[in-house]
Amino acid sequence: MSTPPTHTTQDTHGTPSSHAAPAPMLGSLGVDSRKLGVWAFIGSETLFFAALITIYLIMAPVNMARSDAQDPKEFLDIAFTSLLAAILLASSLTMVLALAANKRGDTRQFRIWHLATVILGFCFLGGQVYEFNKLLHEGVTLSSSLFGTSFFVLTGFHGTHVAIGAIWLLSTFFKVTKYPDSPENAMDIELAGLYWHFVDLVWVAIFTLIYLI
Amino acid sequence: MEMTHAHEEGAHSPRFYWIVGGVLAAITIVEVLITLIHLPHPLLVPILLVLSVIKGAGVIMFFMHLRGDRPPYQVMFLIPFTLAVTFILFFLLLFSQHVGIAG
Repeated sequence: MSTPPTHTTQDTHGTPSSHAAPAPMLGSLGVDSRKLGVWAFIGSETLFFAALITIYLIMAPVNMARSDAQDPKEFLDIAFTSLLAAILLASSLTMVLALAANKRGDTRQFRIWHLATVILGFCFLGGQVYEFNKLLHEGVTLSSSLFGTSFFVLTGFHGTHVAIGAIWLLSTFFKVTKYPDSPENAMDIELAGLYWHFVDLVWVAIFTLIYLI
Repeated sequence: MEMTHAHEEGAHSPRFYWIVGGVLAAITIVEVLITLIHLPHPLLVPILLVLSVIKGAGVIMFFMHLRGDRPPYQVMFLIPFTLAVTFILFFLLLFSQHVGIAG
């Protein structure tokens, strides 16, 4: 008869027992249930953003046929948005470098790359606020046209996800800094990173489908 | 043990991540440059979509480490992702001005 796996080494606050090897929260599938949960969440978010992108694409020709049409090509600044895309892509790179540094046990590199990710995330948000402000001054609002409605809902939800991701990363940074020996640190960083990469992934789709095409 | 094994499978050196990041940045630059040369729309759209898919796959496989990760994680993402892509394509077809109900 096999011995059931023990989960008694789980310690949320890095007490002396935390020096033991990290014990994954194994579910019935034999994988970490927290990571599986985050992947399930990302899966549901994929469908959520697919719905918003579909609405934008369906509404685009309808918008152009209406009397209050606003042509996206006249309002969207590709050069500026390319910079935002580069910033978010760079933040994905710094995130994975932070995770790799943590796995190596290189605390200094981890802190540098993790904070760089947070800073790049806030830079992206600042850029999005600038873009929204510019559009509002040019007369594109939530209610000005179908383009305005579908554009602000889609990019606004994405921006909200970026903000949540940046806060998640920041809280993970403080937690890992305060409890450096916690066995849960590696998984905490990985889960925050998964969400962050997903946010970048959504922007890859938005950048191509909304801005470039 | 299994988790550790899975993590090690997905882990790469920092140099590898820099290379992936560089390739993804290069694809982004190509995407933007292509829009500047004013290609015909039927040619531009598939090129941009292919480049976007390559970028997305790079992020999923190498940054999110889904490549080489445990099958339950892969299934948990790939099923909704496949559904999402299918829904987008079918809705676009359904509402297409040529063959859909909006035509």
